[in-house]
Amino acid sequence: MRKMLALALAGLVVACAGGGGRAFAGTNLLETGSTLLYPLMNLWVADYQKEHGDVQITTQGTGSGTGISQAIAGVAQIGASDAYLADAQMKNSPMLNIPLAISAQQINYNVPGLNNVHLNLSGPVLAGIYSGAIKTWDDAKIKAINKQYASKLPHLDIVPVHRADGSGDTFIFTQYLSKSTPSWSNGPGYGTTISWPSVSSAVGANGNPGMVQTCQNTKGCVAYVGVSFLDQAHKAGLGYAALQNKSGKFVLPTPQNVGAAAAALDKHTPQDERISLVFAPGANSYPIINYEYAIVNPKQQDGAKAAELKKFLDWALTKGQNSKYLGAVHFLPLPGSVVKMSQAQVNKIK
Amino acid sequence: MATMDMAARGDSAKVLSPAALQRIPAQLIFRVVTGIAALVTFGLIFVMLFFLVVYAYPAIRFNGLEFLTSSIWNIGNQYGSGVTTRNGFTGAPGASFGALVFIFGSIVSALLTMVISVPLSLAVALSLVYTVPRRIRPLANALVELMAGIPSVVYGLWGLVVLVPWIANAFGPFVTSKLGWIPFLGGQIGSGNGLIASVFILSLMVIPIMVATTRDVILSQSNSIFEASMALGSSSWQAMTRAVLPSVRAGVVASILLAFGRAIGETMAVLMVCGAAINVFPQNIFSPVNTIAAVIVSQLESALTDSTGMAQRSLAELACVLFVITLIINVIARGIMRGADRAEGRKS
Amino acid sequence: MSAGQVVHGTARSTHISRTWWGISAACLVAVIGLLFSIFAFVLVQGLPALKPSLFIEPTHGIAGGLANAIVGTLLLVAIGLVLVIVIGLGTAIWTVEFAPAWAKRAIRFMVDVLAGVPSIVVGYFLYVALVEEAGWGFSLIAGAMALAIFMLPYVVRAADVALTNVPKMLTEGAVALGARPAMVVASIAFPYALPGILTGLLVATGIGLGETAPLIYTAGWSNYMPTLHPTHSPVGYLTYVVWTYISQPFAESHRLAYAAAALLMIFIFATNLLARSFVEYKLNKHTSR
Repeated sequence: MRKMLALALAGLVVACAGGGGRAFAGTNLLETGSTLLYPLMNLWVADYQKEHGDVQITTQGTGSGTGISQAIAGVAQIGASDAYLADAQMKNSPMLNIPLAISAQQINYNVPGLNNVHLNLSGPVLAGIYSGAIKTWDDAKIKAINKQYASKLPHLDIVPVHRADGSGDTFIFTQYLSKSTPSWSNGPGYGTTISWPSVSSAVGANGNPGMVQTCQNTKGCVAYVGVSFLDQAHKAGLGYAALQNKSGKFVLPTPQNVGAAAAALDKHTPQDERISLVFAPGANSYPIINYEYAIVNPKQQDGAKAAELKKFLDWALTKGQNSKYLGAVHFLPLPGSVVKMSQAQVNKIK
Repeated sequence: MATMDMAARGDSAKVLSPAALQRIPAQLIFRVVTGIAALVTFGLIFVMLFFLVVYAYPAIRFNGLEFLTSSIWNIGNQYGSGVTTRNGFTGAPGASFGALVFIFGSIVSALLTMVISVPLSLAVALSLVYTVPRRIRPLANALVELMAGIPSVVYGLWGLVVLVPWIANAFGPFVTSKLGWIPFLGGQIGSGNGLIASVFILSLMVIPIMVATTRDVILSQSNSIFEASMALGSSSWQAMTRAVLPSVRAGVVASILLAFGRAIGETMAVLMVCGAAINVFPQNIFSPVNTIAAVIVSQLESALTDSTGMAQRSLAELACVLFVITLIINVIARGIMRGADRAEGRKS
Repeated sequence: MSAGQVVHGTARSTHISRTWWGISAACLVAVIGLLFSIFAFVLVQGLPALKPSLFIEPTHGIAGGLANAIVGTLLLVAIGLVLVIVIGLGTAIWTVEFAPAWAKRAIRFMVDVLAGVPSIVVGYFLYVALVEEAGWGFSLIAGAMALAIFMLPYVVRAADVALTNVPKMLTEGAVALGARPAMVVASIAFPYALPGILTGLLVATGIGLGETAPLIYTAGWSNYMPTLHPTHSPVGYLTYVVWTYISQPFAESHRLAYAAAALLMIFIFATNLLARSFVEYKLNKHTSR
């Protein structure tokens, strides 16, 4: 009993010491949200820290939904999100949606013998797969857009993999399906999480790594994966598809094609920068790209934090656009006009 | 267990001598402090349950009975316009929350886990008590306790990297080709993520817990029952299973209960291997499933973006359902235990 | 019953008995072997990554060290244990020593139910109640409370069983000699029950060390050393590293995740050994008396 009491007391002392403990003299910022943006944030913060020792920035890869809600709740200063806020959310809590970089999404598949080439896939075919209408890889609809591989497509069950957690990747993927396929638009629609059609072979996976891993384990799988996981998917031996864009051409997620899509829409980007870049016009535009957003409350509770927040975001929009950061995760820098708009939004933070 | 009664001791303490009176304040403080602690433990459930029910109330009204009968979970179109209104409460357009798939998944995976882990745990516990040589017994015990402490994310990690590929490439093909004629054992294997992966991981997680508790209750029973039974001509196995085990039945049931509670509430490891099925029931033991606990984690993130808040409140309603399921299980098990005690003619 | 029948029956049942014991021993070997292979898998993957620098540097973006997570985990569990020792032991003592029969039943019932509450529900409840409503933000205290709630049923159960199993002879003898219940608990029942209670605390510590779900929404996560501020300062912990760094597209992140997993296992193993030797020591003292 005495020992237990001593233990309890010792613990209490620790707890009390915590109460009066010294705090870090500088400012703490918390960034949380998108797992797609998380690797980039980490590269940024590590270097930013070297120049600015007086600020601590904690990064968390929790998911876009958490990022948005915690930024609104004031728990985090930066909510990282692959998706911009919906109108309904903006009405409840007006937040700034500040693009920091451009990301894309590849469609990975695991079809033995065809992983080293790029199969052609289109929105309607993917919609057919994810709603259970197209069940095997030798389906006529897949053959029709892959004439050169028609004889090689195996009679293999397709296993559509989707994200189990709420995700910006689901948002842009289902947006592609919605914009290219009316029946999908009228059915499941798009969102960070959607009500997937009942397909008994469909698998949910957690995070982009889960998508890659599940696909690697599953012959016949098809999965949508954020471009920062391109190297991982390649290492896992998965193929990635050329996707049909708005002008009907099948294109790969190369920097040129992603850049073409971004260039097609940068002039349409509104002042609040809430715009979908999915299914952009243009002959070479890759169809699934998006802005990676920092969701920020324009009215910060703490003046010192607001000042450091502005400094960091400004750095990210200038020095942070260097390809040594973005290239490592296959992101593209923002076009100059969009950087200016983002900077204008950063200046609204108080 | 419930057979013990300490009230007699309290009564005898009421006869106070003048010298004892001086110690009353200390007595009282001890009693009150421990009483408050007990009240906190007791109240915790009510506070959480009350909080969750109040929080989930709009969802309970919005979803109605459909929550338990429908298998379609749809948080609605967040980027659409307008709202869905039911019983005066609003959700996103097209929202409908049916939890049948998750409830089914939770119960089936926990039950199958018990089917595998109860006999195994009993065998292991008996073996630990009787077969293992005295010299290496501490080592075996230490190993079991160590395993009870492996974090669920580590089980999940192992499940993802080792177990799931094994099910997809070795176990699955073997079972479907050899035993495929048995219902629910044939058909598509898929990625290996699914019901059977969850059940295997859950079994591995609860076995050490069940073994440790079962072993302790067996050891807490004095040797005399075992020896008496042996003296009456039983074999050692009979003495153990027919005399010792029944005498600690209540303790064993309690340990199974703890394990069931752990299995049905386990989150991270299941989340990592279950295949996260949505809107669809499993076709066989390899099919993706989902459990209430796993879906609360995986859907919470997207639910937080629902500006009507209905998705979040529906998840709270799911948590309430899990509460109710655990309550029911406990009530039933309590009944069994009390019945067992009475059958043995032991006074409580 | 003739003598011959007994002998015949015994011989057959001995044979069956041996078979059954053999089967259960095989189960033992299989289960321990399988569990051990998980343990070995993590160590093989993680030990090569355990460098001295891991214990000095905090994590940064994609890799770095584990210093912040190690200190954070230990702090969270220590404070959680303090809470759970006070509340859990108090509950068990009151339940065993003072509670009327109906209250005993009620509390044991509630503890069973509490053990079945999924960790994410506890975490979610505290997130809304403490992090958001009370405005504590991600914090040490919120995280420790989440752990304490999760550890509580294991400690109460163990202490309850251990105290209940104290031979009545001992305690009744003391009462007959005029000792008060508090005295009986402190000087007789408690020391006797200590090994059982410690085992319970041990299991709870293991669970606390390895828990993830209730911490994500309460302690948050931080790349920096814990500031010791009870509120408004997120805390890092090892399970978070396992859970998220394995999801990064970088090999060095994966190494860090495996290192964290191995470290967790070593911590749990060490706690086990320490307490186990203490338990053995106590047992020896009891039996030698």
